[in-house]
Amino acid sequence: MTPASLIEVDFTLNGQPARVRCEPTRRLLSVLREDLGLTGAKPACGIGRCGACLVWMDGKPVNACLLMACRLQGRSIETIESVGQTEQSAPVREALARAGGVQCGYCGPGLVMMLTHLYRQQPRPDAREASAQLCGQLCRCTGYGGLQRAVDLLFAD
Amino acid sequence: MAEHPHAPRSPRQVRDPASLLAEARPRADADAKLSGRTRYPTDRIEAGQLHAAILGSPLPHARILSVDASAAAGLPGVHAVVTAADIPGPALFGLRHVDRPALCGDRVRCIGDPIAAVAADTPEIARAALAAIRLRLEPLQVIDDALAALAPGATALHGRSNLLHQVAHRRADAAQWAAAEAACTHVVEAVYESPRQMHVCLETEGGVAEPDGAGGLVLWWGCQNPERDRQVIAAMLGLPPGRVRVVGSPVGGSYGAKDELTVQPIAALLAWKSGRAVRLHLSRPASTDLGVKRHPMRIRMRSGCDGDGRLRFHEVDILADTGAYATHGPEVLDAAAEHAVGPYDWPALSIHARLAYTNNGIAGAFRGFGAVQVQWALEQQIDRLARACGIDPLAFRQRNLSAPDAPGPLGQQVVASDGPRLALAQIARHPLWIERACNPRCDDRHRWGLGLALVHRSDGFGRGGPNGGRLALALAPDGQIELRVSLTEMGQSLPEAIRALAARHLGCAETDVRPVIGDSALAPDTGAAAASRSTTLVHRALECEGRAWIDSLTEAAAARLRTPASSLRFGPGGWSDADGRPVLGLAQLAADLVGPLPSRVIAVPPEETPSAVPGAHWVFGACAALARVRIDTWTGALRVERLVIASALGPVISPMGLLGQMEGGALMGQGLVTTEHLDMREARYLARNLDGYQVPLLADAPQIELWAIEDLMPDDPVGPRGAGEIAVNIAAPAIVNAVSAAVGMPVDRLPIAPDDILDALERHP
Repeated sequence: MTPASLIEVDFTLNGQPARVRCEPTRRLLSVLREDLGLTGAKPACGIGRCGACLVWMDGKPVNACLLMACRLQGRSIETIESVGQTEQSAPVREALARAGGVQCGYCGPGLVMMLTHLYRQQPRPDAREASAQLCGQLCRCTGYGGLQRAVDLLFAD
Repeated sequence: MAEHPHAPRSPRQVRDPASLLAEARPRADADAKLSGRTRYPTDRIEAGQLHAAILGSPLPHARILSVDASAAAGLPGVHAVVTAADIPGPALFGLRHVDRPALCGDRVRCIGDPIAAVAADTPEIARAALAAIRLRLEPLQVIDDALAALAPGATALHGRSNLLHQVAHRRADAAQWAAAEAACTHVVEAVYESPRQMHVCLETEGGVAEPDGAGGLVLWWGCQNPERDRQVIAAMLGLPPGRVRVVGSPVGGSYGAKDELTVQPIAALLAWKSGRAVRLHLSRPASTDLGVKRHPMRIRMRSGCDGDGRLRFHEVDILADTGAYATHGPEVLDAAAEHAVGPYDWPALSIHARLAYTNNGIAGAFRGFGAVQVQWALEQQIDRLARACGIDPLAFRQRNLSAPDAPGPLGQQVVASDGPRLALAQIARHPLWIERACNPRCDDRHRWGLGLALVHRSDGFGRGGPNGGRLALALAPDGQIELRVSLTEMGQSLPEAIRALAARHLGCAETDVRPVIGDSALAPDTGAAAASRSTTLVHRALECEGRAWIDSLTEAAAARLRTPASSLRFGPGGWSDADGRPVLGLAQLAADLVGPLPSRVIAVPPEETPSAVPGAHWVFGACAALARVRIDTWTGALRVERLVIASALGPVISPMGLLGQMEGGALMGQGLVTTEHLDMREARYLARNLDGYQVPLLADAPQIELWAIEDLMPDDPVGPRGAGEIAVNIAAPAIVNAVSAAVGMPVDRLPIAPDDILDALERHP
């Protein structure tokens, strides 16, 4: 790979300006984990099926394994490293923990990102809508019992 | 209580779903995991690490004529290229059959079988180096079917025959057998095909191997048995075991997939040769190629009962496909043979099971372990016989249960248990069963079906397996009581179970206990976190020696306080006097003691059946379940609506842990029935990622209701049974029987595709 084919992109990462120099097709997930040391988003399928790498771009959920660096210019990316520390995700984390929505935990950061996104929507979706929105989040440990209980707690009418 | 132990009884101590939920407390690690702070082995990404890549075989079966890696080794940025020739010690590993090469030298036996590997500055350079390796292979006959593998003249994958293992058990001589058959009014026979299920751990195999700067090696790598991994790697590198340290926790899912080593030896070899830290993390397709799967099995069952609905004979023939290497295959086959009997009383029994090497990937350990494959087949047989007799399936099962003190499935001595009886009794009083006549049967478009199943399943490894284990208790400088095990945490709530068990047996508070887990350098060899054994093992260790160790601490406390030990009472936080006033805390004792702090290694002896039946088990837990499914007759879609499980596993140690294991296992069992089969053609996978291989999602999850029966037989010597697997075992047959009831079709093959349902509906509208 010659340097000429690399691009430089400026974006906002967790509220701070960030700049990376990489191939245009490099995925955001690699940028986050390998280049910037943010390992909260997890690689598990690489094809956008499992949601373990879910982050927000301009406030909307995206699978970081699919998003190419060439689309990052000027965007705002938020990851679990920031969202997971803030009050906005606290009810979600608490509900998942209390309801038994976490075991091995590898799907957890992506779940929190998706659920927090749904939880802060106005109007807030009901439990049925929220459940339907979770069709891209795969958990292999819990059988979703804890997740469903958390959803019912969070999105009760 | 003067109750006769054999008298049928109803469960007395039952945790209902609401109380389990009410008592379920959040895991200690929940928030760290949910906020992305937990560092898994594959998250150990640091500057200066080399990137590993593996050259896997493009052919499922071939002779390796030559591997020329000289051009690859010469590329700038490449720090090590390894082939089989670079392995200093034994190149083969394997749990009990040592047959799997870390890197193949002369032959490849499955698709993706590793031939060479590279460590380079970047993944791109590593991939370029792989492309520069010149490989000459001579294709060999591909064995892609277990029956063909055993046919005369088939090319042997190892040694002289593809028959890796076989088991035969027979109860009844020829005359008894003939009499048993003659007594039968109803005989059912079918051939069942159980699929190649994939574990789909969200964290694929990976981690970091790095030189420790002192002539040894550290491996950060998720696994189920760090101590074993280090022994294999040390031997391979020609090092004493003490020079290798394996940290195997936390694990992003395993379910058996990480019980055996996969590519750790390759990472270790690259780190050893390059002298640098090497990171390797498999992509999902590579994980599909290199990881183990659930053994596909073809199971013929022929079973009969008399006109009163009493089982008379059961004949089972199992053919299992272990793929290219043995790993846990023989033990899986042993478990299949043993569990094909079920908790039932068969006067005449014949079991024959064979395990064949093929080029179909590699099959190994998977939660439910050999039993899952045969239990749905057995429960179909039982349902079919009950229907033939016109007896309801619950009464039919009750009528045919083995006595609580009867010998085990293979005639071996076992711990007495009436778990199956209690579980059935619990189901019998559930509204879904009592009001079954009122359940919906059909509407314009849908049909509903109710399925009942009963299973028992073994705890621990079978006779002759690595059933013992060691763990340590220690007082830490900060006053915490450390319980040190080399078992790993994979999501199963091991730390919660350890805290709860320690508090129960030692008399301290759970907050006084610090579990130290998953590091071969910090704990004695506890063995594998597998076979539903961890909870029971910790329980037994603490029951045997926990109090004695606390008494020794009390002696030390008494010496420190200059008071007789008999005047002190140990409880949460430390010691109090006869009036209950706190007089010494654990932390104070730790601070005051001079010299090494007290610690004790507890060796838990293997507890096995005394009967000379290789692989047979000693302890069983039981579950019964009811599943309700809804079939869409337009599309053939299958929806599992409800699953009611009654578990008979003894005292509940951690309500959250139990609930999670049961719910998660149940959905995994459902996946086996509904979608999960990793198909192969000519020994190549037809899917390598989660687009072609589909696991259940939230929308597929049924409403699961767990009733946890805590009763055990009087004088039960074991205590809590493991809960890590049995939900897989029970969910699959319950759902199979429900589909069968809804559509009126026999189920002979899993998963049940919508087309199978539509075909059945066309045949029997």
